[in-house]
Amino acid sequence: MDLISHFPVILVINLFIFAFAMPLISRRSNNWATIAASFSLILSFAISITLLLKVLDTGAISYYLGGWPPPFGIEFYIDYLSAYMLIVLTGMGLLIFYYGTASLPFEIGRHMVGWYYTLYLLLIGAMLGIAITNDLFNLFVFMEISAIAACAIISIKKDRECLEASFKYLILSAMGTGCYLLAVALIYMITGVLNFDMVREVLVDNIALYPNNVLVALALIGVCFCVKAALFPLHVWLPDAHASAPSPSSAVLSGLVIKIYAIALIHLMFRAFPLELFYQVPLTEIFLWLGAIAMILGSIFAMTQDIFKRMLAYSSVAQIGYVFLGIGLFNPTALLGGLLHILNHAIMKSMLFMIAGIIIYTKGLKKVREFDGMGSQLRWTMTAFIVGSASMVGIPITGGFISKWYLATGAFEADRPFFIGVIIASSLLNAIYYFPIAIRAFLGEPKPENLPVRPVLKHMLIPVVILTVLVFYIGMSPQEVVGILELAIDKLFAQ
Amino acid sequence: MDDQLIITIIMFVIMFPILMTAVIMYGGQHSDKLRNFLSLFTVLITFIGVLLLYPEAVSGRVFEYQLFEVLPGLAVSFRLDILSYCLVIISSFVWLLAAIYSIGYMAKEHSQLRYYAVLIFTLGSCLGIFLAGDFFTLFIFFELMSLIAYVLVIHEETAEALKAGYKYLVVTIIGGLAIFFGVIICFEAAGTVSIGEGPLITEASSLAWMAFFAFLIGFGIKAGMFPLHVWLPDAHPVAPSPASALLSGIMLKTGAYGLLRMVFDVFSPELMQAINLHAVMMVLGIITIILGSAVALTQDDIKRRLAYSSIGQMGYVVLGMTVFNEQVLTGDIFHIFTHAIMKSTLFLAAGAIIWKSGIKKVSGMAGLGRQMPVTFGCFTVAAFAMIGIPPLNGFLSKWSLCLGFLEDGYIFFVVILLLSSMLNAMYYLPIILPAFLGKEEIEKDLHVDDEGPAFNINEASKWMLIPMVVLALCVFLFGTFPSNIPFELSNMAAKFLLTGGF
Repeated sequence: MDLISHFPVILVINLFIFAFAMPLISRRSNNWATIAASFSLILSFAISITLLLKVLDTGAISYYLGGWPPPFGIEFYIDYLSAYMLIVLTGMGLLIFYYGTASLPFEIGRHMVGWYYTLYLLLIGAMLGIAITNDLFNLFVFMEISAIAACAIISIKKDRECLEASFKYLILSAMGTGCYLLAVALIYMITGVLNFDMVREVLVDNIALYPNNVLVALALIGVCFCVKAALFPLHVWLPDAHASAPSPSSAVLSGLVIKIYAIALIHLMFRAFPLELFYQVPLTEIFLWLGAIAMILGSIFAMTQDIFKRMLAYSSVAQIGYVFLGIGLFNPTALLGGLLHILNHAIMKSMLFMIAGIIIYTKGLKKVREFDGMGSQLRWTMTAFIVGSASMVGIPITGGFISKWYLATGAFEADRPFFIGVIIASSLLNAIYYFPIAIRAFLGEPKPENLPVRPVLKHMLIPVVILTVLVFYIGMSPQEVVGILELAIDKLFAQ
Repeated sequence: MDDQLIITIIMFVIMFPILMTAVIMYGGQHSDKLRNFLSLFTVLITFIGVLLLYPEAVSGRVFEYQLFEVLPGLAVSFRLDILSYCLVIISSFVWLLAAIYSIGYMAKEHSQLRYYAVLIFTLGSCLGIFLAGDFFTLFIFFELMSLIAYVLVIHEETAEALKAGYKYLVVTIIGGLAIFFGVIICFEAAGTVSIGEGPLITEASSLAWMAFFAFLIGFGIKAGMFPLHVWLPDAHPVAPSPASALLSGIMLKTGAYGLLRMVFDVFSPELMQAINLHAVMMVLGIITIILGSAVALTQDDIKRRLAYSSIGQMGYVVLGMTVFNEQVLTGDIFHIFTHAIMKSTLFLAAGAIIWKSGIKKVSGMAGLGRQMPVTFGCFTVAAFAMIGIPPLNGFLSKWSLCLGFLEDGYIFFVVILLLSSMLNAMYYLPIILPAFLGKEEIEKDLHVDDEGPAFNINEASKWMLIPMVVLALCVFLFGTFPSNIPFELSNMAAKFLLTGGF
């Protein structure tokens, strides 16, 4: 049927349409809004699966918006990597949404829920757009949408801390996109086209003529994505933003939003620039070292935090370091590790933020040192926490182990065993701040004032349980995911 | 038996305890009797399963089975050879006795359900380590066992236990990551991490050195080897006594087993000697022997003294791996058996003493031997074996080690062994002699009749006595009995390691 060929655009547009319809629907009732938003997310998830199957079956899909071929029109291009990301984004987006339906009325108030859904659908739609666009300027547009939506889902919780954090995020993120726009301009000066593949073709021939343009553009892109993906040392906005936001926002921000920029960066590097460039310009080397420093320092910062969600946020700084380590080592195995870690970290960190949300909801506790004896009251939640932290540390049979395995073997293939040392040191640091929480929760003496305030909602617990199962699933049978990623990476390196 | 059945039994002895953990967790909520029964049933069935493997193991064949592939070249697989079998049989045997003992010992403890569940789970993961067919599987079970055993260490939940437990946890994770590093190097160097496909690393390079140190740190931590032993004297004594017996008696041996596999399957004896890696282990082994025994002298807490003694004894095992002749290796592997039996006896006896009298200090035990003659009798037999008094099993392993050392001209090592035996005597005899002969100052505290007879029997329950007596009998039998099965198994394993057959 003809509709199937339009799936790439329906995927994005359906979310946007529902996003704008949401305030109207929620005037009637929040339940209707929930149903409508779930429908749109499920639709996107179903389309993503269809697209993945189609990509696996026939190879990459090109879609011209409005039927205009590039260079005049915008192209959506779904290769294996995009298809993988679509599944991660829509799947995780759905689970986090499901969790949010239970926790949002409590966190931001009933009357704001409809607006929150608007922003949430916009954010997911924009991220899907980033994953599949094949156009430099269109990427910018989606990045802006996602930045605004991301800021708004932080500031929607009306307290001083959130407003301050989201303002900080807005400024830094605007600087990032500004850098990117400038880079696009510089590239457009050389090429006159914006489509990734066309840009690359032009650059291959003309790169020697305009070395400064390309270098400056690369530097700007580097800075932009460092800010956006919160790579050390431009991570400063992240801990405030992710710690103060409502829990579903934290989960989606830490789990998905920072990763999608890593994916956009990979798309740009491998598709819009000639590969040889990165053997001459030390961009990957810079990412490598920044990633390694982030892995260590992020964990050290996390150790000093007292507030649970801030600790998780700093841990995200460390974990994004793994992804950039994978990019920085610049070989297929390490890149596979990095890409797999995107999924793993999305699962683990969303789960941990959900757990943080459950703890705040049931007991109103935010500080780690108040967690004594919680394990006996929130047994399932804290068991899931143990699984999540084991995966963070990289204990075998959890997902975190597999990505670390690939990163470490990749470091060997790049002949840089030093970075295995970094991975190991970072894992150890993870253990040092995650496990004592579990110990405290299960073995500490509960204080009398820590008695449960509310029972756990089923809607909050189910996503956590599903994610726990996923952690083990990826840890024990990662072949399907690895298979898709291997195809993706072959294609990237074959260019 | 056909191969399929053997494979099934191998899988069974690993998976059964692990799966039964859930059953115990569930069933034990309703009745204590059911919980105890299920725990005993599980270890007993597992032990029987292991016994069934005996004829196949001694036939000299090797069984390999790949369960599933996690990643290309990286599979969960299992393997039974004679060395694995040696460790599997001693583990399941000691576990059975420790489980029986637990029923008496733990009766007045809290959180028993958690204790039994973990006890059974660690049995499965421990057997998984020994039956792993590749270093990846070994690593998985190693991490599982080490992390879950944390719960045994902190069982008492006192501040002291939690502190020791935290130390244990951190050190364990460092060890696990070190092994992870080692496994990755092997995978890079050989493209596979299977055990028994010849040495994985065949040439001397910086990679070989890194792999060596990674495994040495990883397994050395578990084996309590100097300078990585720091966690052991804290962690072992704070656990409940049957758990201490298992930690010191069996779980330490997983480290020794890993080191043996490293020497013979990651490297080869030739390569070890060519790049002097064995010398590193020799030095560390000797320091471990002397240090463990010397520090044990200074400890007044009986379980800490036993823990340091374990360090010293593991030094023998490490030292024994560095001299590659049949005699030494036989002694080495036999010492794994020996030490498992002796140290379990000692910890169980110490546990019975503490349980009955509440006395932990060695200096307070004078005269106790006359109240608890069976307990102290077992303790004495095991302690004599530690010292190496013939005809007990400790003597046999030392004898074999010494003969082997002499064969290759390492006279110095024999001196070390003798010195260490002397030190052993110096810290074990001051426990035993006053217990039987000393003035019983403490009797007043226990409100026992001053005019009473010299033997004022006040023993622990039979659940605790029987396992101790069985182990003490083993100490005796495996030193004297003409057909000494553990010794023969060790001998076969030594031949198998050196020549690939027997």
